[in-house]
Amino acid sequence: MRKTLVATIAIVIFLVVLIPFASSNPDGLEKVAITYGGQEHQSLWNGIMADYSFFSIGNQYISTLLAGIFGVLAVLVAGLVISKVMASTHKNTKKTPAIHEELKSQQVTTD
Amino acid sequence: MHISDGLILNNTSIVLAVIMWILSISILAWSWKKAQQTYTRSITALLAISSAFVFAAQMINFPIAFGTSGHLVGGTFLAVLLGPYAAILSMTLVLGMQALFFADGGIVAFGMNMFNMAIIGGLSYFLIKALTRKNSDQKWFMSSVFIASWISVMLGAVITSFEIAPAFSGGLAVTLPSMLLLHGLIGVGEGAITTVLVTSIQRLNPTIIGGLSLLKGRTDKI
Repeated sequence: MRKTLVATIAIVIFLVVLIPFASSNPDGLEKVAITYGGQEHQSLWNGIMADYSFFSIGNQYISTLLAGIFGVLAVLVAGLVISKVMASTHKNTKKTPAIHEELKSQQVTTD
Repeated sequence: MHISDGLILNNTSIVLAVIMWILSISILAWSWKKAQQTYTRSITALLAISSAFVFAAQMINFPIAFGTSGHLVGGTFLAVLLGPYAAILSMTLVLGMQALFFADGGIVAFGMNMFNMAIIGGLSYFLIKALTRKNSDQKWFMSSVFIASWISVMLGAVITSFEIAPAFSGGLAVTLPSMLLLHGLIGVGEGAITTVLVTSIQRLNPTIIGGLSLLKGRTDKI
């Protein structure tokens, strides 16, 4: 848990430092769409923080940073939940001999 | 390389989008099963942390030529770190949050984006594995990581070109060459960043790496 916290702080620092240097030019696909006039239809869903702007915060840096932190935390929590679900369902399959053998051989190699 | 719904809401692309949804979800289910079988405790926090990092890294666009930028996709990075199956889950998670909250990549286009970035990225693991089968020294391993990163971006760009072609009056003749040109450059960034990340993780925490997928596979075959 402590490692996760330290890593999260490191990722937030990564964003704090690098967001000002991020290029605002269109990315490869956007550039192709702009240059060759790809037919754009109305999107069905515009998210709640489109273009990584945190609601109505005026300062662009703060706004992008907050949106980034929100996204990092959302991914982190979802990732932990998925791993936990995988861990719990994994135990149930442990009894099958074939997988048990596989596990055993894995434990040997991990150590 | 995130396809927005705006670009694919035409009759041809919608059909393709539905097919890609079905295909990608099937592959996701398969990955889940495989990841579960090869699950090790050491992956628990790592999956969450590396996904969160890739999300953050994708926000930092680097400039390439022609007033265009690119950003790390991170599929190959995750594949090296987590193995192919968990990497597909991890990248799907990142793309899901981007589509849901930030409208970065569409909802209808989600199956396409999953295939182009999560699945191709995760499967690039097997390319590195194939390349390093005979020669496993560190330099060649890193070169293989670079090559696999570049190819994963290019392959994603090729498939994207087909998927978005109906939105352009010039069709594939316009989308394919321009996507390849720009992503040929973006892929170099992808390769460089991925190699630096893998090298630093190897140096910083060889024990974490030691228990994991590809880097582990180099010393004792999985």
